[in-house]
Amino acid sequence: MIVKVLDLILVVGILPVFGNTEFNKEIKPLIDKYCVSCHGPETTKAKLRMDLLDPDMINGKDGEMWQEALDLVNTNDMPTKKAKVHPTKEEREKMVEWITHNLRKAVEAQRSTGGNIIMRRLTAYEYSNTMRDFLMLDLDYARDLPVEGLAKEGFANNTKVLGTSALHFEYFKKIATDSLNKVIMVPEKQPAVYTFKSELEFKLPKEKPVTDSNESKKDSKRKKKKSKPTSKTLAGLPIKMILKMEGTNGKNKISPVAELHFGELVEGKGVILAGNRDIDKIGDPFAEDKKIGGSKGAGRTGLQPNIDFRLVDPPYTGKVLVRVKAAAIPGKGGTYPKMSLEFGSFRGAGYTQEKEFANVEVKASMDKPQVFEFYVQAENYPIQANGSSARHVTNLRIYNDFRRGTSSLTYNDLPKLYLESIEVVFNGGEIWPPVATQNILVDSKNKNNEEAYLTDILKKFMPRAFRRKVSDAEIAKKVAFFKRIRPTEDSFKSALVTTLTTVLCSPHFLLIVEPHKADDRRKLNQFELASRLSYFLWSSMPDNELFSLAMKNKLSNPEVLRAQVKRMIKDPKSAGFVHNFTAQWLDTEGIQRVNVNPEYFSFDDTKKFHFADETVAFVETVLKENLSITNFIESDFAVINPFMARHYRIPGVAGGGFMKVPLKPEHHRGGLLTHASVMLGNSTGAETHPIKRGVWLLERILNDPPPDPPASAPELEEPEKGEEGKHSLKERLLQHAQIESCSGCHSKIDPWGVAFENYNALGQWREGSHDPFVHPKYRNVTVDPTTTLKNGTKIDNLKHLKNFILTEKKEHFTKAVINKVMSYGIGRYVEFSDQKNINSIYDKVRKDDYKFQTLIESVVLTETFLTK
Amino acid sequence: MKKSWHLDRRTFLRASGVCLALPWLEAMSADKTSATNTRFFAGYFPYGVPVPKDDDPKRLAHGWFPVGTGKNYKCPDMHKSFMPLRDKVTFLSGLSHPYMRKTSAHKGADHFLTGANILNDYELQEISIDQIIANKIGNETRFKSLILSARGGVNRPYRSSTLSFDRSGRAIPSMCRTEEIFRKMFGAVTKGERKELASSGSVLDEVLSDAKSLDLKLGKQDKEKMDEYLTSVREVEKMTQRAVKWQDTPKPKVNAKGLNIGVDATEPNEYLKTMYKLITLAYQTNSTRVCTFQMGCEQALHEDKYPEACGIKGSAHKLSHVNNDYTDRAKYQTWLNTFYSDFLKDLDSIQEGDGTLLDNTLTFFGCATGKTHQGLSYPLILGGGKNMGFKHGSHLAYSDDVPLTNLFVTMANQMNVPVEKITCSTGAISEVL
Repeated sequence: MIVKVLDLILVVGILPVFGNTEFNKEIKPLIDKYCVSCHGPETTKAKLRMDLLDPDMINGKDGEMWQEALDLVNTNDMPTKKAKVHPTKEEREKMVEWITHNLRKAVEAQRSTGGNIIMRRLTAYEYSNTMRDFLMLDLDYARDLPVEGLAKEGFANNTKVLGTSALHFEYFKKIATDSLNKVIMVPEKQPAVYTFKSELEFKLPKEKPVTDSNESKKDSKRKKKKSKPTSKTLAGLPIKMILKMEGTNGKNKISPVAELHFGELVEGKGVILAGNRDIDKIGDPFAEDKKIGGSKGAGRTGLQPNIDFRLVDPPYTGKVLVRVKAAAIPGKGGTYPKMSLEFGSFRGAGYTQEKEFANVEVKASMDKPQVFEFYVQAENYPIQANGSSARHVTNLRIYNDFRRGTSSLTYNDLPKLYLESIEVVFNGGEIWPPVATQNILVDSKNKNNEEAYLTDILKKFMPRAFRRKVSDAEIAKKVAFFKRIRPTEDSFKSALVTTLTTVLCSPHFLLIVEPHKADDRRKLNQFELASRLSYFLWSSMPDNELFSLAMKNKLSNPEVLRAQVKRMIKDPKSAGFVHNFTAQWLDTEGIQRVNVNPEYFSFDDTKKFHFADETVAFVETVLKENLSITNFIESDFAVINPFMARHYRIPGVAGGGFMKVPLKPEHHRGGLLTHASVMLGNSTGAETHPIKRGVWLLERILNDPPPDPPASAPELEEPEKGEEGKHSLKERLLQHAQIESCSGCHSKIDPWGVAFENYNALGQWREGSHDPFVHPKYRNVTVDPTTTLKNGTKIDNLKHLKNFILTEKKEHFTKAVINKVMSYGIGRYVEFSDQKNINSIYDKVRKDDYKFQTLIESVVLTETFLTK
Repeated sequence: MKKSWHLDRRTFLRASGVCLALPWLEAMSADKTSATNTRFFAGYFPYGVPVPKDDDPKRLAHGWFPVGTGKNYKCPDMHKSFMPLRDKVTFLSGLSHPYMRKTSAHKGADHFLTGANILNDYELQEISIDQIIANKIGNETRFKSLILSARGGVNRPYRSSTLSFDRSGRAIPSMCRTEEIFRKMFGAVTKGERKELASSGSVLDEVLSDAKSLDLKLGKQDKEKMDEYLTSVREVEKMTQRAVKWQDTPKPKVNAKGLNIGVDATEPNEYLKTMYKLITLAYQTNSTRVCTFQMGCEQALHEDKYPEACGIKGSAHKLSHVNNDYTDRAKYQTWLNTFYSDFLKDLDSIQEGDGTLLDNTLTFFGCATGKTHQGLSYPLILGGGKNMGFKHGSHLAYSDDVPLTNLFVTMANQMNVPVEKITCSTGAISEVL
């Protein structure tokens, strides 16, 4: 901090100079009265002359001293106890406030770029998405890259924090070479295709289904019998049926086994899967599904009706085609099944790793089943085929993701998934050479002339890599490079890999380059604009449509821009914006920093990812449906899945994945503020933490971050042994805030956080003197959300606070969201000079019912966004 | 391949010692203080150890853990071969990795040196202690570290065939073939290796020239960003140049006499001896300062047949489940221990400065399974490292809740790598100093 302030000296004043008159009138008299007797011309303790400190912290050289003075005044350490006169509480607060305000302005001035948008490197996730879209090969390229740091307001794409280290570059180079090898060095002939297909036309087992709960004994007996399919039922549906099918591994016939769990068999036709078993408990809608079977009985599989194909040693690289013929048996109220497919692997002693690759709603009727085709990149899934002597089994599982959730639907009410056939083709699917290979090794009549062919390849490769037109000279330079290295390379293809590696390591690819020599700002050219747009909304490179609009000089037309923003938001790639912006803006990573304390909650810590998913799903809904951003504060709907419905005790929620659910007052939900991700991320994992929650609200929602606590701020006092339960964390925090020196800041933070008191550390509702969700030992708590804001407004609870924000602070909040979106969109801090633009965006947004898309569109159309 | 020029240990050492030629040491070693001579070794054997009950009369005859603690512990029979070095080794009991205490069986190699929380999620794998150390002390030698195992490669999650994981928690493939290891350390540079470095060099040149021409078109603030990028490329270029320099520096000449190069894990006696000798040579020639060796992978293949080499029928895995009569297990473990104690004796017989190579080498050896199927109280032997401040001669018994990573913290700090915490460590272990 001190170092930062020192740096200011170098910065030429950009912001207006603050408060000399205020200083002379209000602050100087206090300094003269309380400080100068020890730090003045007569006595100069610590070699400090308070009477000589320069009040201009931006252009002056005393920032560091002011910071130190602030810390000491703040903590009541100055004036010392021995001093003859002491300032009153109000006087102390006045001083603290003035110094804090001016230091903050000084920091802002220091990090200012003077409004310019500086060149930046692609973030790790942007790099990965760009490689994916560019090479048409869906891999996680960022796996080994260092995790990005975050700027003060939370954004990873801020050029000030995006460094490039040797480690980065080493990986960029290695990743480029490895993936180009993967795409270019494919064999001429397609490797033997590993495939299996089944019509799922099974006969019902001859033996009578056994109904016996002591299944393990029976199970071991059954293993010895060869008759297939076999079955056993538990209250109706068979626990397991073994089904056989046929295929080839390219050389020999294979006969993979499938296990049908809790499914129904339509003899000679197919299988039927519901989302839940008939035995799942429906009496208590909030009870978890009953667990039986499976190694730990956890997870979706092993619990739920599913069909599980066991593949031995399939190829683990390349494209995989999965083709399923499926139909729906609609459920009560016209609901449809959701077909989820996943690859998974047995990972030693009972652990499995599964990863879903598709989740689609099926609506086709039984008499006209629909054929679904999915292409999957094997490398992204835990497919095991390490080629050693052991046989590695990979599971392909299909199940119905429409879950009963917190509803009271009976088995008969549930929509069922009907499967008629399945086919899986490994080793590139049906196209050879793979599309990604053809995309680089373009068709050309020059294939016999290496240099001419290379030129043809580069003419397509380089403009897309550099996201702009590429000059002949630039191509010629690469051809010259190729000629230099060709003699040492074994083949054209290997020399090509080396040549293209230089393109993928070039600053034109790895950085967002907008060359400009002069210091003034200039309009972005068409291609630069295409990149800025696509990294903003997709976290990836522009697509063909953006490129062609840029090529035709049409992109900067406001009408075209508006239409493109609409199109890009609709595109599935806008997940880039939704995920990255939401996670960084609202700090959903917070839940990873906090472990749920098992002494307090019986909550499976590995399930907290649902919390972050909920927050992302909510922002996505507001964006895709173009709703008002006031929904971020208060909404009459939630976007939840059955897991979150159970967590929040919202009954009647059935289905698959996240869905929009109308809220009633008794649910105590609405907006982002009550999200479990926010509540847990700003708690201790056991108790609530009003200070953290208050800081989160001020920083993230109102863009009004409180100053960092002084270095000398005392730690919270630990409770005495044996008195742990006596005072809640909240009480201890408030005690701390009452220390005179701390109250200045805390009176501005804590009231905001106290209003959340009805939500426990996991964001579950509690009131009165009882928290039903924690373990009995900790159940007695006094829940008191009433509080008074610094300006005197009395707040009863969070609902009231939300109402207060939407009435008294609506403009403040709207501008805060604009500020966040703009900062993310341009990759730098929003500065004083952007204020004018923010005001004009605010006017547009206000006039259009605060719609989120309007906000984004308006940001795109501002001068700030359109200029370098 | 059966070219056995098998000599006894003494002959071998004298022979290889005399034949060492180290022209490159002068050129490449920037810092010649004794601190640069510190080495680290971590070894692993599979499937846990026999642990008879406390009142079992055969406890010393069959058990792994010494009886009694401190300097006056009674040494079990299986460790008799260590006793000539009694004051240079420490037996540890009680320590384990907290996250993996619940693990069911046979997946110790994955977390033995990391202590990461991979019980349910392999993505949470972390860097291993040898790599933490190698990142600091491995930059002055030809190889940053030498990662060995009897299986080679990485095998698969939870059945790892490597002990070492990089800073992203990715498994670092191990080498298992004696001829490959020997060639890499002492053989000529291959054409492929040369080509790879050369092409890496030309890629960097080309990228730098692209960057420089772009730099001319940039304003002041952009130039600052560009500088960051250029610096990173230049640093990688320097690393490549260093590698080229090593390539052009002749490798130390070692007499292969006495080394059974070409032997593999199907001949355990020869193989294990040769692997440990290669490690000794690597340290002795300063080819690397960090080495890990996994003596076996916990998945059936030739290592599982090791017991046959000492005359016991059945696989190592099966043997580890025998709990009524420990006679065979004890015999097998005695056999395994001998390779390691011979290795330590080898290190101790080589003079280096005021002490021996063992005094400059911190050695850590053991398994991440205690009793059959139990992730508690790992069998561990810490040895050597006198010149890094380690003191030995005791059996140190800890309670079952002490994290093994506490010892890692101590090891790292004594190796001059300042660390405060490794995964869930709760402090350090000062009793070994």
